[in-house]
Amino acid sequence: MRFIVVVILAFLIGAAVFANSRSVERRLLRADPDALLADSALLRFAVERGRPLFLVHCATCHGVSGAGDPLKGVPNLTDSDWLYGTGRVADIEQIIEYGIRSRNSRAWSLAIMPAYARPHPNPADKNIRPLSPGEISDLIEFLFRQQGREADAAAASRGAALYTGDAGCYDCHSLDVKGDSAIGAPNLADATTLYGDGSRNALYQSIAYGRQGVCPAWIKKLSAAGIRETAVYVYSISHTGDVPNAN
Amino acid sequence: MPTDQKVKLPPWRDPTRVNSARSFVLMTLGALIGLFLAGYSLFTARGVSTLSVPAEDVALVNQQPISRSDYLILLQTLYGVDLSHATREQRQKVLNDMIREELFVQRGKELDLASSDPEVRSALVNAVELEISEDAITAQPNEATLRDYYTTHAERYVSEGIMNVRDWVFPAGDPGDMAAALTLKSPDIPPETLARLHARESGKTQGDEFYFAAKIHLGDQLFAAARDLSNGTASGPIQLSDGVHVLYMAANKRPVPFDFAKARPQVLNDYRNHAIEQLKAGDESFLRKRANVRIADDLR
Repeated sequence: MRFIVVVILAFLIGAAVFANSRSVERRLLRADPDALLADSALLRFAVERGRPLFLVHCATCHGVSGAGDPLKGVPNLTDSDWLYGTGRVADIEQIIEYGIRSRNSRAWSLAIMPAYARPHPNPADKNIRPLSPGEISDLIEFLFRQQGREADAAAASRGAALYTGDAGCYDCHSLDVKGDSAIGAPNLADATTLYGDGSRNALYQSIAYGRQGVCPAWIKKLSAAGIRETAVYVYSISHTGDVPNAN
Repeated sequence: MPTDQKVKLPPWRDPTRVNSARSFVLMTLGALIGLFLAGYSLFTARGVSTLSVPAEDVALVNQQPISRSDYLILLQTLYGVDLSHATREQRQKVLNDMIREELFVQRGKELDLASSDPEVRSALVNAVELEISEDAITAQPNEATLRDYYTTHAERYVSEGIMNVRDWVFPAGDPGDMAAALTLKSPDIPPETLARLHARESGKTQGDEFYFAAKIHLGDQLFAAARDLSNGTASGPIQLSDGVHVLYMAANKRPVPFDFAKARPQVLNDYRNHAIEQLKAGDESFLRKRANVRIADDLR
C-alpha cells in the first residue's frame, strides 16, 4: 500500500512541476520578447530550455558554441554583428520561425548575392549583367580600400564606379558599403566576413559565383514556446553580459 | 511482542487480500487522473482550445488561432514598435486587421473561391509547392551525403574559364597575308602591321573574358577553335561569311574543378534543390494515385 501512496505522491509532484512549468511557459509566450530582460527568472527559464533545443536543431550548422563557420558561410551567433535584423529577441525569433530563403512564404528572402561570373548572375533580376574578370578584380580592390587595406588605387576607382553603377552592388550593400540588415546584405566595410577569410580569393569566389545561404523554418518542427526559448538562448550567447547563460 | 509474529495490517492495507473498498478507491482515482489528462489535452492542445486563447495566440476566430508571433511581426512592420512600446490604438488596429483577414479567409473557404478564382488557385498551387520545399530544406544533409553528391556531380563544380584572345579578319583571304599573320606572336600587333597584311581586328573581344562571354562575342565556331588554343598560339584560318579569321590566344585559363570546401555552399544548394524536385515529384505521384481522375473520351 505504501508503494501506491508513493506512486500517487510522485504523480502529484510531477503534475505540480509540469503545471508550474506550463504556467511559466505561458508567461514566457505572453511576454513582449524584447522586454524579457527585465524578468530574470523568466529569462533563466527560457535560456535553460532553449539550449538543448539549440543543440538539437541549430548546432548542426552553427556549432555547439554558436560560433558558426566562415568556411561554410554559417554566421557567428556569438558576436554583435547581425546579418538580419538588429539582434533583438523578436528578430531572432522571426528567423527561427520562418527561416532565411527557407521557401516559407514569410521567410527573409528578398536578396541573393548574384554570381557575376555566370551568364545570368541573378535569374530573378534580368537587369544585372555579368562582369568581366577585370571588373571583378576592380571591385575587390575597391572593397579593400573601403576596409582600409592596401589596394591598387586606379583599380579601386574603377571598382567604385562599378559598385555604384553597372554592377549594382549599392542596391543591397548600400552606398556606404555598410550593408543593410533589413535584407540580410552584409557590411563589406568591416573585418567580419560571412564567407571565407576576407582575402582577395575569398572575395573573388563570392562575387564570381554568388552566395545564397539558407536557414530552415522551424515553425512546423518546434512549438511556439520552443521557438521563443531557442531565440532567447541565441540572444543570451551574444549578450553574455546581460543574460545568465546556460553554458 | 515476539519478533517472528507478523504485524496485523488493516484489510485495506494488506495487498495479499482482496478488498472491495480499496479497489473502488483506486479505480476512482485512476478514472479521475485519466479524466484530468484527457481534459487537459482536449482543452489546451494547439488550435483546439475551446476554453481560453492559447498563450501562443492572440485570438481565436471560429476556433482558428491568430498567432502571437505574427501579431508582433505585423505590429513591428506597420508601426516600427515592439509590444511594450505600442499604444493601445496601435495594438487594437493590428488585432482588428488580423481578425478581419481571418474572417475573410474563412469566408473565402465557404465560398470555395479556389474552384473559381484563378489567382486563388495559383496561390494555392504555389503555397503547396513551397510547403513541400520547406520540408526538404529543414532536413539538413550530413557531410558524407554532401561529399557523395559532390563526387557524383563533380562536372558542375568548376571555375568559369577565362581567355584573352585576339581575332584578326582577312577580308581578302590572301593566303600569303595569313601565312605572315600566323608568324606574328605578340598579342599586341601594331595596327600598321595588320594594315600591311590587309587585316583588321574584329573588335569582338576585349581583354580577359569569361568563356561564356567570349562564346557570345566570338560565336560558336570561333569560340570552339579558341577554347583549344594554348597560351601564345594562333589558330589556323577559319572561313566565315565576313572573311577569314585567325585567332591569337594571349592567355587561356581553362576551367578548373573546385575542391569540396570551395564548392560546398553550391553543393548544398544543389542537393537541396534536387531533394525538393524529388519530393515534389513524389507528392504529385501520390496525389495522382490517390485521386479519382476521369478523362473525357475524346481526350484519352
